[in-house]
Amino acid sequence: MSFRDIINSGKFVVTAEIGPPKGTDIKEMLHHMELLRGKIDAANITDNQSAVMRISSIAVCKLALENGLEPILQMTCRDRNRIGLQADLLGAYVLGIKNVLCMTGDHVSAGDHKQAKPVYDVESVQLLKIVDGMNNGKDMSGNDLKGSTDYFQGAVVTPESNPIEPQLIKFGKKVAAGAKFFQTQAIYDIEKFKTFMKHARQYNVKIMAGIVVLKSAGMANFMNNFVPGIKVPQNLIDELKAAGKEKALDTGLNIAARHIKQLRDEKICDGVHIMAIGMEDKVPVIMERAGLL
Amino acid sequence: MIITSKKDRSALLEKIKKYNSFFLIGCSECASLCGTGNEEALNELAQLLEAEGKKVTGKVVPKTGCQTLGTKIELKKDKDACDAAEAIIVMSCGAGTQSAVEIFPDKPVYPSNDSLFLGNMTRFQMFDERCSLCGECIIDMTGGICPVTNCPKGLLNGPCGGTNDGNCEVSPDIKCAWVRIYERLNKINRLDDMKETLEAKDWSRNRKPRTLVTRTKEEKKK
Repeated sequence: MSFRDIINSGKFVVTAEIGPPKGTDIKEMLHHMELLRGKIDAANITDNQSAVMRISSIAVCKLALENGLEPILQMTCRDRNRIGLQADLLGAYVLGIKNVLCMTGDHVSAGDHKQAKPVYDVESVQLLKIVDGMNNGKDMSGNDLKGSTDYFQGAVVTPESNPIEPQLIKFGKKVAAGAKFFQTQAIYDIEKFKTFMKHARQYNVKIMAGIVVLKSAGMANFMNNFVPGIKVPQNLIDELKAAGKEKALDTGLNIAARHIKQLRDEKICDGVHIMAIGMEDKVPVIMERAGLL
Repeated sequence: MIITSKKDRSALLEKIKKYNSFFLIGCSECASLCGTGNEEALNELAQLLEAEGKKVTGKVVPKTGCQTLGTKIELKKDKDACDAAEAIIVMSCGAGTQSAVEIFPDKPVYPSNDSLFLGNMTRFQMFDERCSLCGECIIDMTGGICPVTNCPKGLLNGPCGGTNDGNCEVSPDIKCAWVRIYERLNKINRLDDMKETLEAKDWSRNRKPRTLVTRTKEEKKK
């Protein structure tokens, strides 16, 4: 069954992130794909994540397909204009890629080519409209396509954004532009997330909660101070601190598993998206502890 | 106005080292307000050149340096000084500099400034960029605040995930343009404007070089 069919069937879905490497050595990445095969429902392939230049997302999506993983093509508007984006959407589709996550993309100032010219010819909402048009046989200029796409298109949302109102307005625009599923920025406060879900449930879209494993109290504090839209509550930081250095990661895995279990058991959302950030091998451990394997 | 900053002086001196005599042209408009092309700036560069053993044959601050014809007429009284100079140094913006290139077809012309942006003066010699001259104004839909300019990503439909407690992730010292837009639309009771999806911009309106003729045929004949 495809990712689209699984999520639409009402099953609690799990996706994980695979970051293409910087360079041509793909051994470790293929190993991660093997570890995740048959366990997750789809794998997000990041697009020059954090504006750091790496193997292209489309190429790695194709490798995922060859290695038995259904890919979700992450597509940002930072590096390509509307011609490049549409060409890649067509190209990815004929390679067998059926899911796309439309994002604006981190600014080049965050990455390793800070002097690059950022593109942003279109942005996430407009990219969603482009995908919707191509699914209906038209390019952005209204020209007919010889063969349409049939993408299952998604977008991202930051439930902890402060202030939240502008974020929710944009969320509504993304739904109107055709987004069928959302993957959220990392969430740690389930009660607060429920408030967001109450808003999101007005719309007929699937919501997957973002899960980022806390490796230590230090990492949690760093994210609170430096990563916009992420708020780790003090009780979790205390829990990590109490675990001590050696047990911190294990505690972080437990927290992730506990959150996933609660999200599923209480039917708070439709699935989770696990961003392991270099610890892809830990994804099956989290799933096992959450009772998903 | 066009915001300019002075080029590094030692780099400028290096570029013009093979010439010995110069005529300096400033501008009484933007470059004067920026302090890069007023009398004081011209005197300062003249002193620097003279200290290097160069000759300054004359200097002038025309009313509007980018008005080519007007500047050409203003320079008539300085014809001898201009003729005596091996090169021209223009102390205004890139537009003023290219007026001089047109006025002096036989002489090398050097800019002493870098042209930065179209700016608003917020305090004396403090400037902000608020308009990028994109060619298609949309600020009627964004509470009068331009997201093309004020958002580093030029987003048209709301904030990105990088909004950081109301500040911009790319430039942490500025407020998120879309939070400002949201707050203003809320204040003037126009939040519905923000709920409307803006289409991708028509960048053909920005195709360079742009020209514009607004006078009528009758005026041309005169």
